[in-house]
Amino acid sequence: MQAEFIDHIRFGVISPEEIKRISVAKLVIPDTYNEDGYPIDGGLVDQRLGVIDPGLKCKTCGGRAKTCPGHFGHIDLVRPVIHPEYAKIIYLLLQSTCYKCNRILLNDDQITAIKPVVSDLIVKEEELPEASAEHENDSMDLLKRIKNIKKCPHCGAEQPKIKLERPTFFYMNGERLKPDEILSWLSKISNDDLKLLGIDPTITRPEWFVLTALLVPPVNVRPSITLESGERSEDDLTHKLVDIMRINQRLEQDIDAGAPQIIIDDLWELLQYQVTTYFNNETPGVPVARHRSTRPLKTLVQRLKGKEGRLRYNLSGKRVNFSARTVIVSDPNLTVDQVGVPRKIAESLTIPINLTQWNFEDAKKYLESTEYPTVLNVITKEGIRKRVTDINREELLKEIQPGYVLERQLVDGDIVLMNRQPTLHRISIMAHNIKVLPGKVIRIHVSAAYPYNADYDGDEMNLHVPQSIEARAEAKFLMQPRDLILSPRDGKPVMFVEEDELSGLYHLTKEDSYYTKDEATLMLSEIGIYELPKPSKNGLYGGRDIFSLVLPKDLDFENKSKRGHVVIKNGRLVEGSVGKNEVGEGDGKLILKIFSDYGPRATRDFLFDMAKLSLRAAYTAGVTISIKDYYMDEAFNKAKDEMIKGVNSKVLDLYSKYKEGKIEPLPGYTKKETLELEVMAQLEEARSLSDNMLSKHLDNTNNAKLMVTIGARGNMLYLVAISMLLGQQAVRGRRTTRGYSGRVLPFFRKNDKNPEVKGFITSSFFSGLKPDELFMHAMGARDSAVVKYVAITQSGYLQRRLINAMQDFYIDENLAVKDANNSLIETIYGGDGVDPTKELENEKAKE
Amino acid sequence: MTQGKKALSAVPGEAIGTVAAQSIGEPSTQMMLRVFHSAGVSSVIQTRGLPRMIELADARKRPRSPIMHIYLEDSIKNNYEKVRSIWRKLEEVKVSNLISSYAEDFRTGVMTLTADRERLSFYELTMKNIHSSIEKVGDVEVSIEGDEIKVKTSKKAGIKAIRTKFVNVLSARVSGVHGINKAVIQQEDDGSFTIATSGSNMLELMNIEGVDKDHIYCNDPFEVARAYGIEAARNIIANEIITTINEEGLTVGFRHVALVADTMTFTGAIKSVGRHGVAGEKSSVLAKAAYEETVKHLVSASIFGESDPLNGVAENILIGKQVTVGTGYVKLMVKKEDIKKLKEK
Repeated sequence: MQAEFIDHIRFGVISPEEIKRISVAKLVIPDTYNEDGYPIDGGLVDQRLGVIDPGLKCKTCGGRAKTCPGHFGHIDLVRPVIHPEYAKIIYLLLQSTCYKCNRILLNDDQITAIKPVVSDLIVKEEELPEASAEHENDSMDLLKRIKNIKKCPHCGAEQPKIKLERPTFFYMNGERLKPDEILSWLSKISNDDLKLLGIDPTITRPEWFVLTALLVPPVNVRPSITLESGERSEDDLTHKLVDIMRINQRLEQDIDAGAPQIIIDDLWELLQYQVTTYFNNETPGVPVARHRSTRPLKTLVQRLKGKEGRLRYNLSGKRVNFSARTVIVSDPNLTVDQVGVPRKIAESLTIPINLTQWNFEDAKKYLESTEYPTVLNVITKEGIRKRVTDINREELLKEIQPGYVLERQLVDGDIVLMNRQPTLHRISIMAHNIKVLPGKVIRIHVSAAYPYNADYDGDEMNLHVPQSIEARAEAKFLMQPRDLILSPRDGKPVMFVEEDELSGLYHLTKEDSYYTKDEATLMLSEIGIYELPKPSKNGLYGGRDIFSLVLPKDLDFENKSKRGHVVIKNGRLVEGSVGKNEVGEGDGKLILKIFSDYGPRATRDFLFDMAKLSLRAAYTAGVTISIKDYYMDEAFNKAKDEMIKGVNSKVLDLYSKYKEGKIEPLPGYTKKETLELEVMAQLEEARSLSDNMLSKHLDNTNNAKLMVTIGARGNMLYLVAISMLLGQQAVRGRRTTRGYSGRVLPFFRKNDKNPEVKGFITSSFFSGLKPDELFMHAMGARDSAVVKYVAITQSGYLQRRLINAMQDFYIDENLAVKDANNSLIETIYGGDGVDPTKELENEKAKE
Repeated sequence: MTQGKKALSAVPGEAIGTVAAQSIGEPSTQMMLRVFHSAGVSSVIQTRGLPRMIELADARKRPRSPIMHIYLEDSIKNNYEKVRSIWRKLEEVKVSNLISSYAEDFRTGVMTLTADRERLSFYELTMKNIHSSIEKVGDVEVSIEGDEIKVKTSKKAGIKAIRTKFVNVLSARVSGVHGINKAVIQQEDDGSFTIATSGSNMLELMNIEGVDKDHIYCNDPFEVARAYGIEAARNIIANEIITTINEEGLTVGFRHVALVADTMTFTGAIKSVGRHGVAGEKSSVLAKAAYEETVKHLVSASIFGESDPLNGVAENILIGKQVTVGTGYVKLMVKKEDIKKLKEK
């Protein structure tokens, strides 16, 4: 695919001669277009610099707007100007060379001493003795101390004190050093001395740090835009260049007219300012150059820098074609390997078919078809893309031959990449096989949502169609969900059974779960099984027997957990109800077992069958919740009030204990802090007391409670908040305290010790919150929203740093980890060379 | 066995650095931001969660909460009294911790301290200890009368100098190890005693009799690197990252964490993950420029005529070439004879 390779990129500083060599035009007129809207010759949009207007032709290459690559021009500066970004290195050079003889401030002995060290920094020319580490340190110190040398060892001149006043003003013994003086000083530094300072004189000469000519970028780098009113609006760079040229012209005129030195110096300084802001409009110590509308100008550095800069926005991040994006929705009728794609998307995205003598006839059928699936474009051998219409179809049918490329609409079975942002880990992008379906949303299997961290409350996902055979092959063999069931993070399954499926599974496999023949038949036909298991007592079919049908035939499995003992023998569930511990989030032991023993396809099918079967079981059982599940009777509410009273009095006890000075401070805390901590612990206790009360009060006939118990959805805390009390609201990890003096809200008494005035909410969502409670709850909610936002920002940056530090690492043939420069990071990956997705299997093997 | 091993083996070319970075970055999005203090538990306070992760990645020279866990030699670890006598030597006690009040007189340059007998006996110290430690400050005359300690600056000096001297006197160390703010004795499950401290100083701790020098744990990688070397520091970094993640109820394979630790330490010094450390020292100009401080890197590259060999991932994406890791690591080679055969056909 790639005909030419870039081997390396060398950076350097451009010389005035080079500028003049590549320049196609010397620009002299500080203006853009004339009254007729035609580019002025010698102006900033000179037609020799390239064209952006569709009608015009480039005067250098003759190309049109689309074909002309643009050409550089230049401005001759009347007086030299310091390049602001190089001020620092100029300062260093002035400090390390003699002002009189321009030699480096080191004597010959020192020069021979550091030569072997600095020769590493630049191209090796002569053979020199290898530098020892110690020697290296000494030499580096010497180079660092060079600016402290007071007397030139070559001509004996006392060295003046050089000062740099940011950004571009130099002073020698308090007197201003003009750029032309600096220019002549720098140009007299010898090549040999430069080498000692680590600068390669064949690439960079220091006098080039002082500008005598300014390179002007082509117009297509700074295109002007035509507003609706027909007015032209120039790019910021053009504006800045106009400013530079204007000052340059005035300076020239004043010099020619023999104006007084002060006026010339003032203009010269102004020119320096314009050039400084042309390069970097955020230079510290320089007022920002602004547009007429007071918007700061975006100049060269601003174009490159930061997240929206050229490097990160345009070069590291690429925009792509052949992609789609829409809302996602779950669909249990697809396997995890599939994706449901709306017809509309399938019709507008294409896949190229390279015509050969072997696929010619098959491919031709697509072109012949006038309706979906058909060919949208034909690309000739010369690379000309022709859009297929009903008018030219016949013509193209005759024209095509091997070597042509047909761009065909997507059909079932095509492989595409799916992605959900934020793309935090590699399983945020996976390859799915297309299933074209009606509707306007993308559909994915329920269990495929977890690796994407998706839900269906309006989430959108991106779809990409790989265009090359290589890309499709990679997608097919490395990126399909079935192969990625185990997480590279910890080796645990990332696709498993969740929520309603778990509820269904519970009903299906619980003790004494039996189904009538009708029910069993309906359930199994969902997953394409048309043979019933052996019926157990009185003609009913055991739920466990039905479940066993989706297990691999010879599976043996055993798992002991808090929620019981699950035994599968010879592909039959003999004991226990299958739940979260076996097939849910976490260890997902049964899924892991099937994946390592039966492979990806079997696991994918198992997930599919199990999900459908258990959903059907959930329908049959009627898993639902109602307001009844959250209603608490009078007696219970009384008990709750008692409990709260108890907690309140305990808190008040703590206060009185504190008042009497009887409180024992925790190590590292004052008595007051200890009091607060203990009060908070006491109030937290209220929550766990409620938890226990509610757990005891409710049984598994309450579906809300059941879901919590089997781990399908929610936790006890939610139930407590709905039916009993919300409990303590926290802001910054403490009870709410801020507000009026001595109280949070104005209608509390000052310094009240009652926990309710500091955000302890005794109402529940069911009973409704009192006004003050609502306020406290809002405070807590606001705080947690802020915390969430900050946490996401910070962890995002942490991840960016980690990836940037480690992205070049790879495993080599000997399982060692190396980076881009072949530095050895680890001699053998992870100490054993084991694939991270096989972490758990590895542990099992060790046992 | 070899067959099984092969099946578990990692694949050459795998972009394992990115995998490791993602494996640590992804769970950290779920981590809590706030440092909660567990109430009632007597042990020392530690930074946890995301702030701790960031602290470790930053390789901060002064972590927010350095702690040590000290194990003791077998002969004494079950004897509470002996453990207590070691514990007494640990906590840094300053003059200010032992007095109940003090008065400064700037005219005469005399400070009067009133010792707190209760505290003195708690730390098993005498007035003599205070006397000698104040004298160590230098240029002071110390006299003791009952509970009162009079400190007189011997040199005639300005108010500012006197004040500085007084502060120095108050913060003079009477006993304990420098840097250890607090020490707590803990009982382990097997009945033996250990000491947890907040603040760290491993080097001095190693000189204390009875301390098991092979079993001092410290959560500050720099401290460990000073005392035990870079390999130990690498293990500390890895261990700290994985415990921080596990504390949140999240899991990560150790190999990822170890790779991060190796990245930070493989040069022999601890380097931070970020622009001042690992990422800032990349050889590629473009990779550095695309990361942070774009202009600084481009300018210095131009001055020194640096050249970018385009070996890494970021550079190749930038110029639109295939990356060098993953499937891009594999190159296809054709035997010369095969080409000949093809041509003959």
